[in-house]
Amino acid sequence: MKQVARVAGFSMCCVLLLSGGCRRFGTQKAGFDDGEMLGPHQFEDFDMPLGARTEFGQQVMGLDFAPVQFSYDRFQVADAERAKIEAAAAYLRVNPALTLVIEGHCDERGSREYNMALGERRALAVRAYLIGLGIPSERIQTVSYGIDKPADPGRNEQAWARNRRAEFVFYK
Amino acid sequence: MQIKRLVLSGLWVVCLAGVPSAVHGREAHVRIVGDGAAKTRLSLAGVQHPDTPEARLFMQVLTRNIQRSGWFEAVGAGTAAGVEVSGTVADPGLRVEIAARNPVTGQRYLNRTFQAESPRRLAHQVCDAIVEAVKGVPGIAGLRVAMVGSRNGSRDLYLCDMDGGDLVQLTHDGHPCLSPDWFPDGKSLVYMSLHRGFPDIYRIDLATMRRSVVSAHPGLNAAPSISPDGRDMALALSKDGNPELYVMQLRSGRLERLTRTQHAAEASPSWSPDGRHLVYVSDSSGAPQLYIIPASGGGVRRISYRGNENVSPHWGPDGRIVYSSRRQGHYRVCIYHPETGEDLQVTQDAADYENPRWLPNARHILADRTERYKTDVYLLDTRGDAPVRLTTAAGDWYSPAASPR
Repeated sequence: MKQVARVAGFSMCCVLLLSGGCRRFGTQKAGFDDGEMLGPHQFEDFDMPLGARTEFGQQVMGLDFAPVQFSYDRFQVADAERAKIEAAAAYLRVNPALTLVIEGHCDERGSREYNMALGERRALAVRAYLIGLGIPSERIQTVSYGIDKPADPGRNEQAWARNRRAEFVFYK
Repeated sequence: MQIKRLVLSGLWVVCLAGVPSAVHGREAHVRIVGDGAAKTRLSLAGVQHPDTPEARLFMQVLTRNIQRSGWFEAVGAGTAAGVEVSGTVADPGLRVEIAARNPVTGQRYLNRTFQAESPRRLAHQVCDAIVEAVKGVPGIAGLRVAMVGSRNGSRDLYLCDMDGGDLVQLTHDGHPCLSPDWFPDGKSLVYMSLHRGFPDIYRIDLATMRRSVVSAHPGLNAAPSISPDGRDMALALSKDGNPELYVMQLRSGRLERLTRTQHAAEASPSWSPDGRHLVYVSDSSGAPQLYIIPASGGGVRRISYRGNENVSPHWGPDGRIVYSSRRQGHYRVCIYHPETGEDLQVTQDAADYENPRWLPNARHILADRTERYKTDVYLLDTRGDAPVRLTTAAGDWYSPAASPR
């Protein structure tokens, strides 16, 4: 019986180690252990770290890449938006000296801090798609403006939909 | 401003005693804060002052401070008062001798001389001394408020007094900035700014007005929160490919990563008073909700279930967490007690209250309030006094944080 428990404990710890959470999991403090615990399955580890910020040259002006649009409180790239990212990827391929900054934006509704994170995730989702298309990650930086740089100053559903976006800004 | 009545007496006994109970998150009752706290009548009629502009300003600010303290009703001469304040304002009005006593019992609360560089600061000092001497709690009049001001599309960091006065512009960048947070000594603050093109964290030393970079990793550097001992800073970083929660040791810059949620974003960490836990926002459930995690990393507990969005938590000095909850179409200021599970709704008028922050007295809360697309900073009272607006200038004012002292 003890043997079984030990084996079970060992495999549990393996799972936790693989998920990068074993040591942290062990430091749970008393007093906050009675709510809903999120199991180690919540902790995943497929990082795609951002490259170091490089010095940017001049912004390439006069380009007309359509921004990628998003649903409310969502950062997933919709199927209909993929062609916009593929167009940016094609441009990066034929201009190998250019670097790209992806700007993530949100509509004005909701917490400003949360929207900073949401805007960043929109930019990161577009970045991940570009990396999947073979663009080297070090050519791409992300910046979130949260709700602070709307494309449309309107305060209606149409304006909000326009403002939930990721924009492509290229630098020489 | 419609604020409904709440019967608080029993609840507050439970809250203040910190008795752990069986009530937790999902079963928590929502209560609404009431319409005016009980006040002690206080008379300033015994304060003699010369007829100078400084002395008149001192008396005016002191009277308003006394009202805003939440503990007193200022009454005129001839009305029976529980506290009688007497004294003499020296010409022109930067020094004052103040005594406060209970006229019935004869108890002396205070007998001191105060001096300050301005009549306003003098009034703040005197008010806080009276509150502390009579009620035994810290006053709020002398605190400074850091906040973001957005004027004609230009955003910068500002400071003002708790009554909205002495407004000072701290930065002159004009770029989006957010989330000021004070060091425990009140001598410097951190905040997020995009003035160099990316959301980075900066520190401003208020004595020298010098600014330094605290965190400028690739991607997002946001939502800085200084630990109670001033040694660490919790923040959200996306350098590893997704917005995650980190704790940075300020002296060495060493980072400890707390969350690993590839499919969720984390934001808005705030320290527990003992520095052992953090409350923060994560949308791992599909919508932004509040979670608690040990500051050294570990098991996570979700604490918010009511409202489809719960954001901007701030852990107060008495252990209660204030946050903004989207309920019936508006963001409401709510308070959650992690030990009892009690959930209290503070605002319920048709405005959006966001970025709530406790004051050091664990009674009042600062929050920004948006109505008809105009945002201002308000002082809220958990004992039921009506909200008071701090900011009166044109523009939008938000993301307030009161200095620790």
